[in-house]
Amino acid sequence: MDFLGTVINYILNLGAPVFVPIIMLLAGLIVRMKLRDGISAAITLGVAFVGMSMLIAFMVGAIGSAAQTMMERTGIELSIVDGGWTTMANVSWAWPYAFLMFPLQVGVNILMLVFKKTNTFNADLWNVWGKIFTAFIVVAVATPIVGGLIALILAFLIATLQIILELNSGDINQQRIEKLTGIPGVTCTHRMLFFSAIYYPFDLLLRKIPALNKPMDAATLRSKLGIFAENHVIGFLLGVTFGLIAGYDVPAILTLGVQAATALMLFPMISKLFMQALSPISEAISDYMNKRFAGRKLFVGLDWPFMGGASEIWFTVIVAIPFTLIWSVILPGNKILPFAGIINIALVVPAYILTKGNTLRMVILAIIGVPFFLFVGTQFAPIITDLGLATKAINIPTNQLISNSCIDAPIFTYAFSFIWQCLQGYFLPLFLAIYWCVGYFFYARELRKESLQNIVEQ
Amino acid sequence: MKKIIVACGSGVATSQTVASKVTRLLKEKNLNNIKIEVVDLKSVDTHIKSSAAYIAITKIEKEYPVPVINGIAFLTGINMDLELQKIIDACK
Repeated sequence: MDFLGTVINYILNLGAPVFVPIIMLLAGLIVRMKLRDGISAAITLGVAFVGMSMLIAFMVGAIGSAAQTMMERTGIELSIVDGGWTTMANVSWAWPYAFLMFPLQVGVNILMLVFKKTNTFNADLWNVWGKIFTAFIVVAVATPIVGGLIALILAFLIATLQIILELNSGDINQQRIEKLTGIPGVTCTHRMLFFSAIYYPFDLLLRKIPALNKPMDAATLRSKLGIFAENHVIGFLLGVTFGLIAGYDVPAILTLGVQAATALMLFPMISKLFMQALSPISEAISDYMNKRFAGRKLFVGLDWPFMGGASEIWFTVIVAIPFTLIWSVILPGNKILPFAGIINIALVVPAYILTKGNTLRMVILAIIGVPFFLFVGTQFAPIITDLGLATKAINIPTNQLISNSCIDAPIFTYAFSFIWQCLQGYFLPLFLAIYWCVGYFFYARELRKESLQNIVEQ
Repeated sequence: MKKIIVACGSGVATSQTVASKVTRLLKEKNLNNIKIEVVDLKSVDTHIKSSAAYIAITKIEKEYPVPVINGIAFLTGINMDLELQKIIDACK
């Protein structure tokens, strides 16, 4: 163990911008990437890490000091900087065992297909980072309770559970998604859909209120709010708001506005370099799976954006922004200042499918959903910051915490990674795990009934 | 050099997957004068004027002045060659 520990420490000390590209190059050669392409992809990945690290440090500098001044002036302590999901992806890929998640996901998927436990092939190899994310949270929570080795095993077990549930979620949601989007043969295997289980009991109540079930023209509403949906505009408005609350003078307010706009506009630009670097691996796996299961009708599991044509989603996302800010101030225990995660897709897409695109119910559910995201984001902050600093994936001042206000499937991830705390007499994660399981079970039953009905009607 | 845009909701993962795939397929056909650019779904209107085609990941209800390509095909592999040909035709 000592020798292994030394090796792992040496690799970790190289820092994510160096060691992850090396691992990625090896993984690329295993899937028969050409050496030339492999080297190019590996360097691109290194650039993505360094670029994200620069950008996160820039954002923490601008937003972190505004948060500090806001606290001194108003007494509201929102000290955790919200790095959004791009920061989470960055930290996740830096986890030393990250790349093992590729063979695990593909292996579990093949087994489930062979044994006919699913009809979905998860082609979304970008969101492998979602499993990595859950796994490193499990390690951090479980290590002090059960020891390092068992914690690592538990991490891969929970990741496996997540892989299986994502496929199951793809299966049960497929028909409804096809109806909503009009795109045949695909489904969504993103774990953000798990949050429907939390919404489900609330939606059952909302369905009983006739006034909420009138159709609304989301397209028109959206076109009126259109400009607010662009990242740089949202960033500017947030920066100006923070500057005002912090009591800055006018030049400082406007400067913070432009800096915040810069951060939100550049995050996706840098973050797509990760995908660019990983695409040869993801294509090789996709091609292999298509050949392996040629002739069998499979649903292709994709990331959420193919549903992004729905105006209901964008309208609700924008409406949720002010409510997220209000919740962040009034929610007891919240420490996150919502920023880069505020365009919260994971809050809205589950509500979109659950309500079949009923805008009013989506808005109400989103308002109910926000505190769950803020609570989990606050709980995860020290773990995310520690891993980011240890792997050199982020470079921020000590004592500064970073997290995300739009963690996908927040309750599932929190409940199943903190559940070990019941050994120490803390039962909230266990309770939430039971809530999630019951919600998922009944929601799945509704979806299956609906699918059967569709088949009968056809 | 012709420019073609791909868009998805975040302009990060899905659109970049499609862009990388199309770039590779075009390279295999030695078509090096077509550039695939990733943009954010909300800024498509700004970019469309300078593009030869638009690869959409979502269902399109609006009319666009350029051919719209079905981007899902490059994710699922179904009808991929057909859609690729549409891209090549749009760039002639």
